[in-house]
Amino acid sequence: MKVIAVDIDNVLNNFSDTLAKSNFTFNDSYGLSCQDFEHYLTLLKQDAWAESEFLTSKFSDFRHRIHAQCYLLAQAKPGSVQFMNWLKANDWKIIICTKRNLRLVGECTKKWLADNHIPYDYLVMSANKIVFCKLWNVPYLIDDDILNIIHGEQYGIQVYYPIMSKHSSVTSPIAKGFSKFEELEQCLPK
Amino acid sequence: MFTKIEMLDVFYQTMRKDIMKIENKNYGFDFINKLTSGNATLDYIQMENHFIHKYRLLDISDQQRKCLLQGHINQEYNVCLYFDETANNTLCFNIDNNYKKNNNEIIPEIELVVDYLQQHLGTYDMEALSVKSGRGYHVWCRFAKPIANQLLLGFMIRISAKALASLHYNKHDYHSVKINMSPNPRFAKIISLRAFGSKHIKTDSFSRIKTIDGVLLNEEASWQYFKDYTTNKTIPEQQFMLAYNDLVNVIPVSN
Repeated sequence: MKVIAVDIDNVLNNFSDTLAKSNFTFNDSYGLSCQDFEHYLTLLKQDAWAESEFLTSKFSDFRHRIHAQCYLLAQAKPGSVQFMNWLKANDWKIIICTKRNLRLVGECTKKWLADNHIPYDYLVMSANKIVFCKLWNVPYLIDDDILNIIHGEQYGIQVYYPIMSKHSSVTSPIAKGFSKFEELEQCLPK
Repeated sequence: MFTKIEMLDVFYQTMRKDIMKIENKNYGFDFINKLTSGNATLDYIQMENHFIHKYRLLDISDQQRKCLLQGHINQEYNVCLYFDETANNTLCFNIDNNYKKNNNEIIPEIELVVDYLQQHLGTYDMEALSVKSGRGYHVWCRFAKPIANQLLLGFMIRISAKALASLHYNKHDYHSVKINMSPNPRFAKIISLRAFGSKHIKTDSFSRIKTIDGVLLNEEASWQYFKDYTTNKTIPEQQFMLAYNDLVNVIPVSN
């Protein structure tokens, strides 16, 4: 059985670019002052967090709301839809594996996948994708997360990642970066 | 004589019958095939810390629902239920530790908030059913008839505000606890709560009931208390409306 786990954000879509380039307008529904709104937005665009000793805070709520908007705005990367359909046509079992909180954004995630004609067999939310792949005997993972790229090897997971500027310092003898999805079709078993 | 399944059916009368979430440590494609062997479809999987897996199932038939509830009672897994999207005869304050550090501990502020909630509900002659759950408590109320979710939420927001104010007046940081309120019309479709009779996946301990006197009951006594509560402590709709109208006058915030 050929099984593969595929991340959504920054793999199938352009999430980080969308977050960086989109304009988000201040309004009262955020429950923040205009100053805090701008401060939090700056942090978010830098992929940083506002310091807090609490799990749920004004920042965590704000982060969720902005990310949820980006999930809808993000565009499928060139070649990603064709690649996913290539997997399907070649009898791969496809697991969409994401860190998104599917309890809250499951519906918009499924809609985005359907609107973009992206086939999949299972939708999984996991903060630790390497552990998930190890437990479920999923030998292949496509993901942009640096930790997963570095640690996949020691758990026997072959990681492929779309090359981004954040990967400039990544060194892994096993994980393979790619610029185009067509390259993956050459790497994976038919 | 009610069976445990019948007790759950009566208490959670208005909750969705066709959607459930299953929580356990089982995983793998064979397990999924077993879960979906009836008509049910798997919506998504959550894998959390300590290898805990949650499976959201849709289109559950009556027969499969009974089987899943029996598995819950046998403590093979936990069943989590979803509220009706428009009106419900139960509400729940879900109280958790909000600190990032040692998040699984039940901190003193949580016990205090449970007490304050019970006290404030008590002023309206409402008795709550408090169940120790995970890193906090679920504090339930059950009504004789379904009540619109918007009214239930308006009521819960005001009672929670009173409980947190009590915490604040007694020199505790009200940010230390998080109170999630269900049913919330925005989240009724997507947020589920463990049914009574669950066990803590990490510790294997039964989710025990805490009485209004502060006594934590054992498993058998908890089931008995649950039965008595369902039979004798159901709150009339009129009593809810009197409490709601009073609270709206005292705390005139918008939802």
